[in-house]
Amino acid sequence: MAQSVARTLGQLPPISGVVPGRASVLVEFDPATSTEGEVRSLLERALVRRSEGEVAGRQRTIPVVYGGERGPDLEEVAGHLGMTADEVVAHHATVELEVLFCGFASGFAYLGDLPAELRVPRLATPRTRTPSGSVAIADGMTGIYPADLPGGWPVIGWTPIRLFDADRVPPTYLLPGDRVRFRAVSGADAAGFAGRPEDW
Amino acid sequence: MSIEILDPGALTLVQDAHGRPGWRHVGVPVGGAADAWSARLANRLVGNDDDAALLEMTLHGATLRFDAPALVALTGGLDARLGGFPVRRGVSVRVHAGATLSVGGGDGLRGYLAVAGGIDVPEVLGSRGTDLRTGFGGHEGRALRAGDRLTVGAADVVGRRRWRAAREAGPIRILPGPHADAVPVAALEDAEWVVGSEADRTGVRLDGSRMTVGVREVPSMGLPLGAIQVPGDGRPIVMLADRPVTGGYAVPAVVIGADVGRVAQLRPGDGLTFGSVSLQEALEADRRAAEELAAIELLGEPDDDELSWVGSLD
Repeated sequence: MAQSVARTLGQLPPISGVVPGRASVLVEFDPATSTEGEVRSLLERALVRRSEGEVAGRQRTIPVVYGGERGPDLEEVAGHLGMTADEVVAHHATVELEVLFCGFASGFAYLGDLPAELRVPRLATPRTRTPSGSVAIADGMTGIYPADLPGGWPVIGWTPIRLFDADRVPPTYLLPGDRVRFRAVSGADAAGFAGRPEDW
Repeated sequence: MSIEILDPGALTLVQDAHGRPGWRHVGVPVGGAADAWSARLANRLVGNDDDAALLEMTLHGATLRFDAPALVALTGGLDARLGGFPVRRGVSVRVHAGATLSVGGGDGLRGYLAVAGGIDVPEVLGSRGTDLRTGFGGHEGRALRAGDRLTVGAADVVGRRRWRAAREAGPIRILPGPHADAVPVAALEDAEWVVGSEADRTGVRLDGSRMTVGVREVPSMGLPLGAIQVPGDGRPIVMLADRPVTGGYAVPAVVIGADVGRVAQLRPGDGLTFGSVSLQEALEADRRAAEELAAIELLGEPDDDELSWVGSLD
């Protein structure tokens, strides 16, 4: 919901910035030229229009090599959830998630909500470097690291596809509101997905 | 012409004043100069647009050499010497080919060096600034290193200029944030805060007191510039240019736009206090900051200041 509101609001002239959050939307405007009341009534009208014509997010499929060297926390996650690693993979590759909002770093999308049986806590000790492409879960969500970044989420797999490219517009493969599924692929098949997806 | 980095000092970056505010919905931080007001001032002193790319230098040690004559201006919190002579902040100076500028001393954390014509790096997602976290924009998406050469854009010949105002002093002014009820703003105002060792372009963590936080984590929400986040440990963090676009801690207050640059100039160990203002007072402060930025006088026409050249002729 937040992201479709944000999409609608971004078109309105007095609004200079719109940032969707988990359960809120940050709306920025210049209080020297518009009053809070004016912006508020604009928002209320925009919200009515939105409910009349909801824009559906795009469908995206992300190939993931689960476990192994590039999914170092899969076994521990499975242990925590009382499942086998294969069961975690089967679950994770079945759910459809939505890009709820972005943050942390350029192109880092928060995908949710994960079903209750896939909820795990963050790592007790965060890593100083989580490699680009790492697929991680925590806080009831999945995140994919678009670059080498520090990170506190357990990493269960890795995707070969590129999610952020500053030289493209838009610079991200995933946009707020997109519907995302994961597909388990073998390490050998991963090379076939390397680089930027064709449906960017 | 070009500038060669002989030593980047603690951290030297190509930045611009406005950053890239339009891509926050996909996680791209705004970035740009941490003290954007000083960046704009430096550009105005050399006749550039406010948003021209310039150098943001941190704390000490940066040393650069100009391979051709240039008009430059230093603003912000650092001092520098040009060929052995002190460079006055807030005045544009002409430098000779081969002159070396070295940064050292001052009362703040960051210095801005604008060069007439601006640093010529490609615009990425609407800004020439450097995104350090992901590594794009600026010069090759990274902090500058010894040996880097930066090209400077073509510039009209303009006269030297001098800024003749003083920057606001006093408490850092704040407005209530979205969680002002859960974390009373009075607790911010009543304490004497000290800038901790974790003070970078993302944010400034404060020591000296602790706040009692009624709410430990909140659903991640968009963070405006100057948002004061209070994590569970009760130590507030003032969020600056490189802040993540969303954050999950309570935000009891927000530093007003006119004062964010002042926070970005505080060094670890510096003290600060906060004072609440009304929205009207915050707007008035914005107007005054814009006026101060415009308080620039011309020091003469381009040809009649032959004596103003600084730097060596080697």
